[in-house]
Amino acid sequence: MLSISHLTLTARLSGQSVEVLRDVSLKLERGKVLGLVGESGAGKSMIGRVIAGHIPTGFEVTKGRIVFDDTDLLALNRKAWRRLLGRRIAFVPQEPLTALNPVLTIGQTFAEHLAHLGVPAAERRPLMLQQLDSVHLPNPTELVHRYPHELSGGQCQRVLIAMAFAANPALIVADEPTTALDVVSQANVLRLLAEQRRTRQTAMLLITHDLRLASHVCDDIAVLYAGEQVEYGQATEVLRRSRHPYTWALDHATPDVHGPQRQLPALAGQMPGVSTLGGISGCRFAARCRQSQAACTAQPPALAERASGHWVRCIYPREVGARTLTAAGEASATATSGWSAPRGDAVAPSLVELQDATLRYTARRGILGRRKVQNVAVNQLSFKVQPGEFVGIVGESGSGKSSVARLIVGAESLTSGRLLIEGQERVGAKALRLTREHVQMIFQDPHSALNPRRSVYRLLTQAYESDHMASKRHPRQERAHELLNDVGLPLDALMRFPSQLSGGQKQRVNIGRALCVMPRLVVADEIVSGLDVSVQAQVLNLLIELGRRHGIALVLISHDLSVVRYLCSRVVVMQHGNVVEQGNTEEVFANPQHPYTRLLLASVPPADPSIAWPPEIAVA
Amino acid sequence: MFQIISAIVLRRLLLAIPTLLLLSLVVFVVLRMLPVDPLAMLLPASATAADAAALRQQLGFDKPIPQQFLIWLWKAVNGNLGSSINFRQPVVQLMLAAVPATLELTLTGLLLALVISVPGGVLAFVLHQRRHEAAADLIVALMQSIPSFLWSLLLILAFGVFWPVLPFSGRVGDGVTLPDITGFALVDLLLVGRFEAWLSAVSHLLLPALALALGFAPLVIRVLRSSLIDAANEPYVEVARLRGLSETRILWRHMLKNASLPTITMIGVQFGFLFGGALLVEMIFGFPGVGNLMVQAVKGNDLPLIQGIALIFCVLMLVITVIVDVLYAVLNPRLRTL
Amino acid sequence: MTATALTTPPAPRGERFPVTRATLRQLALQRRVWVGGGILLVILLLAVFAPWVAPHDPLEQDLLHMLTPPMWAAGGSGEFPLGTDGLGRCVLSRAIYGARVALTVAIEAALGSMLLGSTLALLGGYFGGLVDRAISYLVDLWMSFPPVVLSLILLVGLGTGVDKVILAVVLVDWTRFCRVIRADVLVIRRRDYVLAARLIGFTHLRTMLREVLPAVVPLMITLFSIEMGVAIIVEATLSFIGLSVPPEITTWGQMLADARNDMQSAAWVMLTPVLCIIVTVLGCNLFGDGVRVALDPRLRLRGE
Repeated sequence: MLSISHLTLTARLSGQSVEVLRDVSLKLERGKVLGLVGESGAGKSMIGRVIAGHIPTGFEVTKGRIVFDDTDLLALNRKAWRRLLGRRIAFVPQEPLTALNPVLTIGQTFAEHLAHLGVPAAERRPLMLQQLDSVHLPNPTELVHRYPHELSGGQCQRVLIAMAFAANPALIVADEPTTALDVVSQANVLRLLAEQRRTRQTAMLLITHDLRLASHVCDDIAVLYAGEQVEYGQATEVLRRSRHPYTWALDHATPDVHGPQRQLPALAGQMPGVSTLGGISGCRFAARCRQSQAACTAQPPALAERASGHWVRCIYPREVGARTLTAAGEASATATSGWSAPRGDAVAPSLVELQDATLRYTARRGILGRRKVQNVAVNQLSFKVQPGEFVGIVGESGSGKSSVARLIVGAESLTSGRLLIEGQERVGAKALRLTREHVQMIFQDPHSALNPRRSVYRLLTQAYESDHMASKRHPRQERAHELLNDVGLPLDALMRFPSQLSGGQKQRVNIGRALCVMPRLVVADEIVSGLDVSVQAQVLNLLIELGRRHGIALVLISHDLSVVRYLCSRVVVMQHGNVVEQGNTEEVFANPQHPYTRLLLASVPPADPSIAWPPEIAVA
Repeated sequence: MFQIISAIVLRRLLLAIPTLLLLSLVVFVVLRMLPVDPLAMLLPASATAADAAALRQQLGFDKPIPQQFLIWLWKAVNGNLGSSINFRQPVVQLMLAAVPATLELTLTGLLLALVISVPGGVLAFVLHQRRHEAAADLIVALMQSIPSFLWSLLLILAFGVFWPVLPFSGRVGDGVTLPDITGFALVDLLLVGRFEAWLSAVSHLLLPALALALGFAPLVIRVLRSSLIDAANEPYVEVARLRGLSETRILWRHMLKNASLPTITMIGVQFGFLFGGALLVEMIFGFPGVGNLMVQAVKGNDLPLIQGIALIFCVLMLVITVIVDVLYAVLNPRLRTL
Repeated sequence: MTATALTTPPAPRGERFPVTRATLRQLALQRRVWVGGGILLVILLLAVFAPWVAPHDPLEQDLLHMLTPPMWAAGGSGEFPLGTDGLGRCVLSRAIYGARVALTVAIEAALGSMLLGSTLALLGGYFGGLVDRAISYLVDLWMSFPPVVLSLILLVGLGTGVDKVILAVVLVDWTRFCRVIRADVLVIRRRDYVLAARLIGFTHLRTMLREVLPAVVPLMITLFSIEMGVAIIVEATLSFIGLSVPPEITTWGQMLADARNDMQSAAWVMLTPVLCIIVTVLGCNLFGDGVRVALDPRLRLRGE
């Protein structure tokens, strides 16, 4: 029904022609789901844009065809293409809250959509209400008068799905539809999509970065790397018997929530960016591939069918079951190794302790700003960190976990309770400056965590600028070199600036800066969330290495349970400012006591595609 | 809705009282710092020191400044803003005659500015999208470099001197008297049905209002253009495109509605600019408004009149702010759910 | 460590100050920066070298040659290239000398407002809380007056003279700087690297100067340029009314006021100062605009 053959998208960048998408071929049948899996920058969203006809200026389709229901899309004029959108091809966007016009009510937006579809005025309202009801939204008659900011992310996404399916489209393109949602909504949205599809036999193109999620939801999967399609076949096959080294690495670089622990084999380097693609001859993955040979860089390999329905773009694809790789990571992956997250020294006095800590925000609401609303971010939390221990705090957004991080570091003042650092109580504004040698923080967003006007050298050793005595004890240049070494950055990185670094490199600088004063505890707030899976594994391994070498303790704030399991020996689960469960990571994950913990664990797509997922979760 | 509007008005009014007080105080103090003695102008050359002292006492200038202020305040609250030194008339009376003229001029100017700048802003935006904006940018930059008073002079040269089609002095033709119903010439003349006089009033209003409008329009064009650019980058615009809506529809129904919010805010903030422009425009065109009055007052060091006009300007700005706040709340659904 | 070692991607040679260099490069690409800067430079040179460039003394009255037309019109002569005004003074010379006052007021007033406004904006935006509320209230208070009216009143109180005019402009326009820069400071304040600096042990002062201030400097430059244009207009307005400087000093506004009487017969006497003001302010605006576009990636033409 949708067939893409040998699609190539070329861009002109600084005088060069770069093939941003190269030789992509896919087929999608009626009623089936095809997953486009890749990390950010792989080109998966770009394919969605090409289907929509929204090719950015400077880009051009130089080869290939896209045939949708016997119509050659690329030959259509703008008007005809526009007629297709919304009617035969519908899109479900990534960020639901901002996808609706904030000054129009839901009803107005929906009515406009229906009018565009050609529904006569009299039928619009009943159809609208019916659609909203079919996506299990409560009280549709009242909902149509609401504005988008009055709804939650999950509800907005359901409205968007209702609009998308209103025309009974033949194809739905969903670009990361669950990434911006909370755990409960994610599962519900996926099930909703499946439900809507089933009755209408709609085909779906699901764009996602999560290979495991795709293996559960999709019938077929195409894996993209640097604009090329490296593997394509049936979902369970691609995951279980992955033949391309990248697919294998992608799957294995994701830590597991259940099952035996293993060290993550991290892929060195990162995916080539668009500007460097022009200079690569041969296979685009060869630079990172452990088994690449001379032939790999000579010519780009072609997509070949290695098994029935299973296509791979590799000269030396992995044979299933054979051991063609010799990396240590590979070897230990199949053995139940003695891998474990760093434990601390349980006997020594605790490094950081929060006793009955409470943090309350006061917001002014109401007409004259008189009514005060109290927002409890953290509620009577008690929590300890031992020297050398890696502890994880998990929860969703709004759970209070980031507030705990800020409390520990001293960026926020406790409303009540105590904060003890090395046994001494820290109070008030002084807390921030006094904790300098004891506690440091690594921030989440690399974009806002590094001052764009400072070089890496000045960033790593920024602590020297406020302590003039330090230079006498330990020269700044030397320390910079030491830190570079510690975090695994090359020497020439010193003179670079954040805008010249990749996401992973920026996080390394972030970590290095925190290490400069040799703190005993580092608080890491969602530091791997924005990173690609392969880069994430590098950073995680780096943290463990640093823990072993310097004996630092780590508090990791994350919503990602698999990362926490890999890194932390103890875990604290938070919901709405309260601790719902805490204890040894392995025990908590194997035997969750609290329903919320169980919910969190159930929402992670399992590594084994045969397990049914998403699970039944009551509609909130 | 009504509740929210009344709440906004109430809040603004409550804030207004200390604001007005403070501003009046500032103006009062500043004026008393005069290096020139205002009384010198009122006294005949042969006056003695005793005469000067008597006059000073009569006008109350001999008391300490805080006391003078309180006296002025008390009188003001009771509706008496003193007497103009130069015109020898009660300040309130002078202002009642002049304020409607200024309002008429300013509102007409604002209307003309919107008529120019809304299509102008949309055009500038469309040109920006199509990367043909260099010429439009230059024109807007040029317009922004010409303040209202220069526009006045240029317009007089163009339409008064070289191509004399429009009058450029006064509010109505010579010999035409205005009925005094609302104070707004255009309204009053229509109410009494004197159509020819009405036309005369319109033609006299045209050039000054145009001068004001041309001085203000570039500001609105800029903010409208940049708001539209901001709106164009919002995710919901891309989603609307993916639903198949045409660019024109997206522009008018979606983007413009969102872009109007910061535009209205900016107009409210820059309204003082419009009043300031009116000052000189009235002076140049001999338009009998508050601005003209102010210029004369300042040149003549007429302290009570200056004080009174300053107060009136504060009140006018306050009213504008309230209107803008209410308008913004009406248009922006996010503010409606409190 | 092999798993964590980084293979260096092919990278450009590390430049020093890439942010500044990128901005400068963008600036150089903008035509308006060159045009605006050029205009300002020319006027600056004329003003500085006025005594050598101007053909006559601006105050010298030649009552035999009143209202002579410019030299390209009938009746004009090379002695008075732009003709003379109602008192026989050379229009060109007056225009050139007028530039001196205009630029002096422009630069000094813009500098003053920038310093006052930016300092308060930095303090308010950085510290937040009571400090910010107080400063915001002050700004709101100040801005509830039409600026021209406020400057008139200030001048009544201060008296005449170029320095008083500069002071009046600074006291009125600092609010514009304060408001715009405060908004920017608030955004930067929330960035994580500001908190990181505090955690490392920076004092508030050091954090403000090292982390926050460098990020607002480009905006300050834009506003400075635009403020220069505003100051010139305000000065012209005030001298048009007759409040700004004593008659021995020539300003463009004065020329306008004098020219009004002779509008019907001698348009060039009015047009000259009008054009002077427009061109100078245009130069300031173009330059400031260019800086603003160089800083804001969204406003640049795509593909640049």
